[in-house]
Amino acid sequence: MKEHYERLGISAGATPAEIKAAYHRQLKAFPAHSHPQDFKAIRSAYEALRKAPNQQADDFFELKPIEAELDQDLLAELKQQATAAANVTLEELILLTF
Amino acid sequence: MSKVVGIDLGTTNSLIATLDEGQPWVIPDEDGELLLPSYVGMNEAGKLLVGRSAQRQYAAAPERTVKSIKRQMGTDYRVTLGDSDYSPQEISAILLRSLKQRAEETLEEEITQAVITVPAYFTDAQRQATKEAGEIAGLEVLQILNEPTAAALVFDDRSEITENVLVYDLGGGTFDVSIVEMTGDVTEVLASHGNNRLGGDDFDRQLQRHLADKFRQAHDIETPSDAATQARLLQAAEKAKVALSTNAFTTVREPFLASQGKTALHLETEISRADFESLITPLLKDTIEAIDRALSDAQMETEDIDRVILVGGSTRIPLVQQMVENHLPGISVSSFNPDLCVGLGAALQAGVLSGEAVESILVDVIPHSLGIAAVMETAFGLTPDMFSTIIPRNSVIPTSRSQVYRTSYDRQDIVEIEVYQGENAIARENVPLGSFKIEGLPPKPAGALPIEVHFDFDLNGILTVTATEKGKGQQSSFVVNNAETGRLSSHEVEQSRNAIGSLFDIPAIAFAEEDETAEEE
Repeated sequence: MKEHYERLGISAGATPAEIKAAYHRQLKAFPAHSHPQDFKAIRSAYEALRKAPNQQADDFFELKPIEAELDQDLLAELKQQATAAANVTLEELILLTF
Repeated sequence: MSKVVGIDLGTTNSLIATLDEGQPWVIPDEDGELLLPSYVGMNEAGKLLVGRSAQRQYAAAPERTVKSIKRQMGTDYRVTLGDSDYSPQEISAILLRSLKQRAEETLEEEITQAVITVPAYFTDAQRQATKEAGEIAGLEVLQILNEPTAAALVFDDRSEITENVLVYDLGGGTFDVSIVEMTGDVTEVLASHGNNRLGGDDFDRQLQRHLADKFRQAHDIETPSDAATQARLLQAAEKAKVALSTNAFTTVREPFLASQGKTALHLETEISRADFESLITPLLKDTIEAIDRALSDAQMETEDIDRVILVGGSTRIPLVQQMVENHLPGISVSSFNPDLCVGLGAALQAGVLSGEAVESILVDVIPHSLGIAAVMETAFGLTPDMFSTIIPRNSVIPTSRSQVYRTSYDRQDIVEIEVYQGENAIARENVPLGSFKIEGLPPKPAGALPIEVHFDFDLNGILTVTATEKGKGQQSSFVVNNAETGRLSSHEVEQSRNAIGSLFDIPAIAFAEEDETAEEE
C-alpha cells in the first residue's frame, strides 16, 4: 500500500477525491503513449487504492501512534495492592516462598 | 513540423480532419463537401472513382462499385473491380489515399502520419487490417483510436467535477456503447460494448425487403434478383429511411423495375415511419441490451450516468433517440455533430501524440478479453481446452498481466500456449490469435512445474506473450500481430501500395499533360 501512495505522490489516508486528483496529475506527467511503463505503474497504484473500501481504516501497514490514557482509579487501586504486598515481614516472606 | 490528421474511416462516409491552433476542423473537398462517401468504383473506361462519383454509379453498375467495405475488414474477402481483385484493406486504402490527397491539396504539404478511428468493439484482426490499410495508403498510423472515445474527446462542456457520460454510437455498419468518465481534460473510458455488424446498412436491408414485398403484393411477381435491380431497391430504401427521419410518410417511386411480357412494372408505394420503426425495433433492442451490459461492466447503475451523447448518422432516426431516452429516464440526451465528431476527435488525439499543445489526456480500454487455452477445474472435473482469461475485457491499456500455470501430467516436456480473444468459456469458441510452444521441459510430476505466462498489450494493440518455466528459467515469447488472418509483410504492403498508386496515377498524368499545354500557350 505504501508504495502505491508514493507512486501517486500522496500520503496514506488520502480521501478518494484526493486519490483521483493525484492520479490525474500523474497521468498528465506520464501519458500512456509516451511513458507506457510509468503509466502502468500509476494505473495499478490507482486501481489498488481505489479498491480499498475505506482508505484510512484499511491501511494495515501504516504506523499509527498509540492512543491511550492512564486510568487514575485503576492506578490508585494498583498502588494500594502494591503497598499491601510490600507490607510483609521477612518471616512471612520466607513462609510464602517455601 | 508537418501537419497531423485524424481520419474517420466509416462504413458509409469517411472524413479527414486536422488541427489549427489546437482546434480541430474537417478538411472539405474542392466542392466544399466534408464527407467522402465510402464508395469505390471503376467507370466503364476503367478509371478509378472514389466517393460521390462511385456512389452515383452504384445503382447503375453495382458490379463495378464497392460500398460498406468496412464490414469486411479483417476477413479474407476479395472484391473484384475491373481486371483485378482487391482485399478489404486495399479498398479502404483507396479511400484513405483519396482523403490524404484532399488534405495535401488543401494544406499544401505532405501528410505522412494519421490517427485512424475504428469501432470500439472491433477485434484485433479488424484493427490490424485498418492499420494495414493506412500503411498501404502511405500513412504511418500513430494510433488506432476507438470511435466513441474520439467523439468524447471533442466534448468540451467539461468541468473539474467528474461526469459520467454514455456515448451511444450507431453508424452505418457498426454499433458501440462506451461509458466514459470526464474530469476536466481527462477522458477515461470505463467500459465499451457493441456489435460490429449492426447499423444503418441493416436498416436499409430490412426496408429493401419490405419494398420487395410491396412490389410482389402489387404485381404478383418477385422483383428481379439481378444485382442492378437489387441495388436500385437498396438505394431507394436508403433514401426512404433518411426521409422518414424528418417526415411521417414517404413515397418510394422506382419506375421500370421489372417487366411482364411487354408491360413495364413500376414500384410505387407509401411507407410510414411506423412501418419502418416496426422493421428496425428488434435490431434496436440489441443496442439497448448493450447499454445494460456496458453499465454492468462499469459497475454502474442507470442513475450513475449524468449525460448521454448520441453519435453516428443512424442516431438521427427518431426511434433511436426515443428508445435510448426511455431506457435511461431523466438523463439528458444530446447529439452534437453526429457525423463529424469522431473525425474531429481523431485530429485532437493526433495533435496530442505529435506533441502539439493540446490539453487532453485519454485513458482507454481493451474491448475483448485475452487469454489462453488451459486445463481448468469445472463442474465436470478437470476439463481441457477451457479459456483462461489473462487480460479481462475493459482493462485499461497499455497493460501487463501474468498468470502462473502448472504442467498437467507426469513428465510433461512440452507446453503449447494457444492465445485467444473473446468471452466464451470454451477456448476454441473464441478468436485464435496464434500459438507457440516451450519444449524440453525437465521431467517432473504433474503440477510440479510452474510456468508463468505474461501478456503485454500496448496502445497499438500489439500483444506480446512470454512464457517462462520458473525452474530453469527457460523462456519463449511470441508477438501477436495476427497470424490467423495473414498479417501482411512489408513486401505485400509495398505491392498493394503500388497497385493502388497506379489506379490513382491515371488521372494525375492526365492533369499534368493539361498543365503543360496550358504553359505552352
